[in-house]
Amino acid sequence: MTAVFHVGDSWERVVVHDLTRTQIVMYAGASGDFHPLHHDEPTAVALGYPSIFAHGMLTMGLSGQLLTDVVGDEGLTRYAARMVGQVWPGDTLTTTLTVDAVRAGEVDLAVRTVNQDGAVVLLGSATARQ
Amino acid sequence: MSDLYEQLQALVGSTSGEATVGPDPVNAPMIRHMVEALGDANPVYVDEAAAKAAGFDGIVAPATMLQTWSMGGLHRKAPSPNGGWGAALVLLDGAGFTSTVAVNCEQEYVRYLQTGDRVTVTGLLESVSEEKATGLGVGHFVTTKDEYRDQDGELVGTHRFRVLKFKPGTGRNATPAKEDRPLRPRPPTTLDTQWWFDACKEGRLLIQRCTACGTLRHPPGPACASCHSFDWDTVEASGKGTVYSFVVTHHPQAPAFDYPLPIVLVELEEGTRLVSNLVDVDPDDVEIGMPVIAELVAFDDELTIPQFRPQGSKA
Repeated sequence: MTAVFHVGDSWERVVVHDLTRTQIVMYAGASGDFHPLHHDEPTAVALGYPSIFAHGMLTMGLSGQLLTDVVGDEGLTRYAARMVGQVWPGDTLTTTLTVDAVRAGEVDLAVRTVNQDGAVVLLGSATARQ
Repeated sequence: MSDLYEQLQALVGSTSGEATVGPDPVNAPMIRHMVEALGDANPVYVDEAAAKAAGFDGIVAPATMLQTWSMGGLHRKAPSPNGGWGAALVLLDGAGFTSTVAVNCEQEYVRYLQTGDRVTVTGLLESVSEEKATGLGVGHFVTTKDEYRDQDGELVGTHRFRVLKFKPGTGRNATPAKEDRPLRPRPPTTLDTQWWFDACKEGRLLIQRCTACGTLRHPPGPACASCHSFDWDTVEASGKGTVYSFVVTHHPQAPAFDYPLPIVLVELEEGTRLVSNLVDVDPDDVEIGMPVIAELVAFDDELTIPQFRPQGSKA
């Protein structure tokens, strides 16, 4: 890849608009994570949640698309994320990437994803080759 | 330290046993389902020509799909209880820490997986925290580290996953909403003390005074401890004082109160002391000698009692 990164460079993108239960169910099947809280609404409600909610790994995957698009194919070497808030059906998520540090051949990025109310749902960091 | 914590620590560094071979080789249909679920339009995941143009030998899998190649599917077997995560799970579930929530995940990628790769995973129990009180409940943070290798035994990536195993219903968020709460317990009163609580309802914080020798006293009582006189009247306190001593209560929890609950012994500037709660303060910031001021709070139609807050904080 040919991009040159500078500390403070930033990118922002809506990574999912109006997340549907169908998409969450598709992720359950594609990832093999069949925890009922992520697809079985009566179970989720019985456990005190307003509805099913997205897998943390789905939020991480959604946010990661911006990363791979920015750093290029096979540039990503590390990606860590903390699931700060739950993601619900109907949510629209916006991810922001910011270059934190640039070293010889490597770049560190901060990852931050918020919902439509501005509440942070994921905070992460990543390292990529450059 | 509890026996449970020691048993868990003994498992740190162990694995659940044999490496697990992913049920399917890395393949285009599973990749296509994943990129549909993620809504990822990058063509290197679905289009052979685009992948080759990007320098790959063929279609590659999204990096964040790493952990899916070893998932056991809908009818997966429970992890082996002989070591590692499986053994920790048995201990934690057995001790009542039955709920699980993902906290964070860290993945390292050595190379992108491509169709035909056969992935093998070894899971290590990396760490278990001491018991922590969290918003969700009392629990232990458990971190596992899975190493993914290809058909040649080469490391392709690592997946570190931290979950909180907690006891359902023990979290701060599990405190009943205020409107659902039982009322605060009533202070037991007698003919000798009722007048003090009645004055609180009228908005006055009173101190009993011996009319024979002038000594102030609290809590209210029939006779002066200095001169034994039964004659008394009252003076109205300014409400200002300092924290003489305190405790911050975490357990046991009564549903009418918020926790952690600072309980303070306040020395009023008139000299008497009374037990109360301290509000508008971070429990970690409570200090002996801290200047405080009283406010008479009506908790319900029957109960008005003083609460203290730091002097200078907003009313």
